[in-house]
Amino acid sequence: MRDEKHLELMIETLLADPENEGNPLRYALEELYAEYRSLLHQIDRIMRISDRYQSVGREQKESIAGRYQKQLRQLEKIARISDRYQSMMRDLNEALKDASTKDALTGIGNRRMLMEHLKAETARADRLEHPLTVVLVDVDRFKAVNDAYGHEAGDKVLMRIANAIRDGVRDYDLCGRWGGEEFMIIMPEAAADDGAHVVERMRLAIAEIEMIADGEPVRISASFGIAQRRRGEHISDTINRADAALFDAKRNGRNRFEIAA
Amino acid sequence: MDNLIIESTQSTPSIMTDYREGTVEMRGDSYPENSFELFSPAMRWIEEYLAQAGRPLTLNLHLLYLNTSSVKAMMDIFDILEEAHQAGGRVTVNWYYDEQNERVAELAEEFKEDCSFPFHITSQVE
Repeated sequence: MRDEKHLELMIETLLADPENEGNPLRYALEELYAEYRSLLHQIDRIMRISDRYQSVGREQKESIAGRYQKQLRQLEKIARISDRYQSMMRDLNEALKDASTKDALTGIGNRRMLMEHLKAETARADRLEHPLTVVLVDVDRFKAVNDAYGHEAGDKVLMRIANAIRDGVRDYDLCGRWGGEEFMIIMPEAAADDGAHVVERMRLAIAEIEMIADGEPVRISASFGIAQRRRGEHISDTINRADAALFDAKRNGRNRFEIAA
Repeated sequence: MDNLIIESTQSTPSIMTDYREGTVEMRGDSYPENSFELFSPAMRWIEEYLAQAGRPLTLNLHLLYLNTSSVKAMMDIFDILEEAHQAGGRVTVNWYYDEQNERVAELAEEFKEDCSFPFHITSQVE
């Protein structure tokens, strides 16, 4: 650059020197110098235009990168929010499932849960040719408790009995509230006699429940009807036989079990 | 400017606009097959209102479940509001949720994160 400036200065000095006037080389040098200046100017313009193109390109690149980053952030946020909605739905589903199969008062299974399991256990018993026993439990003189001490006391009785049943069943048994003051126990792999052992312990546990209402001790007991499913029998017929056995237990003095014929 | 009256269905929220009051209300669950089709009239309405009315706009939301494309649509709507807010427009979002379902409030907080305009999340006994 310094050399260029130096050269330009030298040429300009030579051209301006009156001593060189009339020298044929001076004319040629003047022409060459003018050509050189014009080329220099052109190169300068081309460089400036090219720089501008480059900076437009760079800006475009930056704005695309910026938009890309923004979209990426948005996408991440959408995924995050959407995941949370989905987990909310999953939890709601769980809660609904729980509510639809559990008895709200006693916390044990409800009739829907019992029906589902009756169906499944019946199929399993048929497949494996294993016994299956169904027990119906009814609280003795429940109406009298309700009338004497009110519904709250009645609810308490149901909860205490539900607990006793839940604590009394074997690991593979299922218990639930069949309706009103009636409970059901499903005993897979159990014959009626096996069921009777479990039921007898449960009966004693229920009879030992100590409850006070209005300052008075309330006597609680329950009656049981046990029926072992016959091979190929429709499960509703087994339940009817358990119900009949329960009726017998009531008629024979309550606080006892009967096994269906 | 015509108001929008879109009735809710099982899978789409109701969308009602009121030009005079300057309000947009959305209510219900949103898991439409085509979120773009559902939300674009609302987006257009909001954009036109913001361009014409010269008055504040309030968005009242009673939304429960949103599927992914609805989440995207809501974010686009909030982007429109944010832009208007940056340009000096008065926009407000009121997101109402059932106090039985606090998680809707947490989700509304996620939406609120990038918004600098007033964004209220309020519990309401439905």
